[in-house]
Amino acid sequence: MITLGLPSKGRLKENAIEYLSAIGLNVLPPADPRSYRAKIEGRDDIEIAYLSASEIAREVAAGNVEAGVTGEDLVRENIPDSYNAMKLLAKLGFGGADVIVAVPDSWFDVHSMADLGEVAAGFRALHGRRLRIATKYWQLTQQFFSNQHGIQLYRIIESLGATEGAPAAGQADIIVDITSTGSTLRANALRVLDDGVILASEACLFAGKASAENPIIIELAQKLSERR
Amino acid sequence: MAALRSFSARADIEAILAARDAERIDVPVLQPAEPFLDTAGEELRRRIFLTQGQNGRAMCLRPEFTIPVCLQHIESKEASGRYGYVGTAFRQRDVGASEFLQAGIEDIGNADTNAADARSLADALACVSDLGIKPEQCDVLIGDQAVFDQVLAALGLPSGWRLRLAHAFGHDATLEATLERLAQPITMPQLPDPILQAVKEEDTAKLEELISTAMDEASLTNAGGRSASEIAKRLQAKFVQSQLVPEEAKLDILRKFLSISVPLDQSVDVLRAFEKDNMIDLAPAIAVFEERNKSCIAAGLDLGSITYNASFGRRLDYYTGLVYELRSLSGDVLVGGGRYDRLLPLLGAAKATPGVGFSIWLDRIVEASA
Repeated sequence: MITLGLPSKGRLKENAIEYLSAIGLNVLPPADPRSYRAKIEGRDDIEIAYLSASEIAREVAAGNVEAGVTGEDLVRENIPDSYNAMKLLAKLGFGGADVIVAVPDSWFDVHSMADLGEVAAGFRALHGRRLRIATKYWQLTQQFFSNQHGIQLYRIIESLGATEGAPAAGQADIIVDITSTGSTLRANALRVLDDGVILASEACLFAGKASAENPIIIELAQKLSERR
Repeated sequence: MAALRSFSARADIEAILAARDAERIDVPVLQPAEPFLDTAGEELRRRIFLTQGQNGRAMCLRPEFTIPVCLQHIESKEASGRYGYVGTAFRQRDVGASEFLQAGIEDIGNADTNAADARSLADALACVSDLGIKPEQCDVLIGDQAVFDQVLAALGLPSGWRLRLAHAFGHDATLEATLERLAQPITMPQLPDPILQAVKEEDTAKLEELISTAMDEASLTNAGGRSASEIAKRLQAKFVQSQLVPEEAKLDILRKFLSISVPLDQSVDVLRAFEKDNMIDLAPAIAVFEERNKSCIAAGLDLGSITYNASFGRRLDYYTGLVYELRSLSGDVLVGGGRYDRLLPLLGAAKATPGVGFSIWLDRIVEASA
């Protein structure tokens, strides 16, 4: 018997249920529509728990649910050492969105992370403060800037919503955010750097380290991978 | 290590610091986090222990002592001071405990910077010797941020290159990666036609006007960020670079410089020879270097037992000149020190205030002397 965490609302929920049904697993609506537990037709060995997408990442990592469907960005951002703590079993091909570094379009001189590193290095001398990055992705930003590109001279400004508006509002100079079509970026005159994709995220099936060898989960992963 | 935490051991360290004529200073364990993050960058965030004060202000357990000591100095409004501290610092490290005992001396506001540098180094050596480390149990390594900066300037490298190299200085892998990248030709990015036109025609006024218009459209003009002239300037510099062949010869000279590692008593001769061989002018930096060496001799230091390594530096932009380390024979850093003339103004000092200091890793001293 395993518990599978599914997103509790929105398109992510619909897509996940549709996906499961395509591999022959029909999620039965709970008797009480307000319940956050559900079953799968003919499979008493799988229980569904509806959780918020970020809770799924945490609960799978903690081992409270054996597996779950959630966005890779949430896992990489919120789970320490996620590459070891969790196993990505299948990419599901929906919920696609990139975590990106975007600068104002009018920064015609900045097209790469190397450009940005140069601007960051000289920023304080010109402006008396560090380059500011608005984001809710603290971990991904730090890893990408510090470890991958050796850029250390910046400050993160926490932004929990409407991040794309931060440069025009004077709260930050650039942003790290998630985007699927790029239309909000364009509307706010922001441009993704040529090498500015931090993570190409999509909905994935994740299992906790301890559960990855569970035969039910292996079966699930196989079917989901084949479907894709 | 346990012994060091006892009261009597601390009293010993206090006596050792006092004997070096350092005034005892106590700084609170709980510090505002902002000055640390602002000076050291975001990389420090995952290493410090953060908490929030009632007013929402981010506070942290002191991750080191230099910044709190400088802040306290600024508050005191004294012109200068020599401060000795001992206490626990808190930082998460890849290896080792997250809390550790440190002691050190910060010498702030002494305008005779060469003498202060020599004294700082002599103090550090004397303190570890008093703590039981024999000279043959450690290596002394020095570097100089100012010499590196002078080499970059003397080579006439484009300003963008200099910024990147200066930022990478002190971390060999990053520096090598940067050098390799700079050896690649620069291509101009895709630009709107009018912008590219203005760049090619070197029409700065037109270029700034076009950038200003784009900024206006994005409501960025008054957002307090980069200005149109700053962007125009960098874009023009980039265009000039894209027309040039990468200057491999200059990068080779830089590599040659970075490979210099000699006993300090030969350092000035080696730097002069380097200067002559490569036909660049390092006179101002070498003059300072030579003066400092003289001060070191006057302070009783044996230059032959100190190594000057041209690639040794710190990736913190407030270090400005001398940096040094005492390392155990197994390579552990026992003492880290250096000159940080840019730090006090950054922390809010009203006028330029020089500073130099060192910090002793007391737990490692215990291991090294065992």
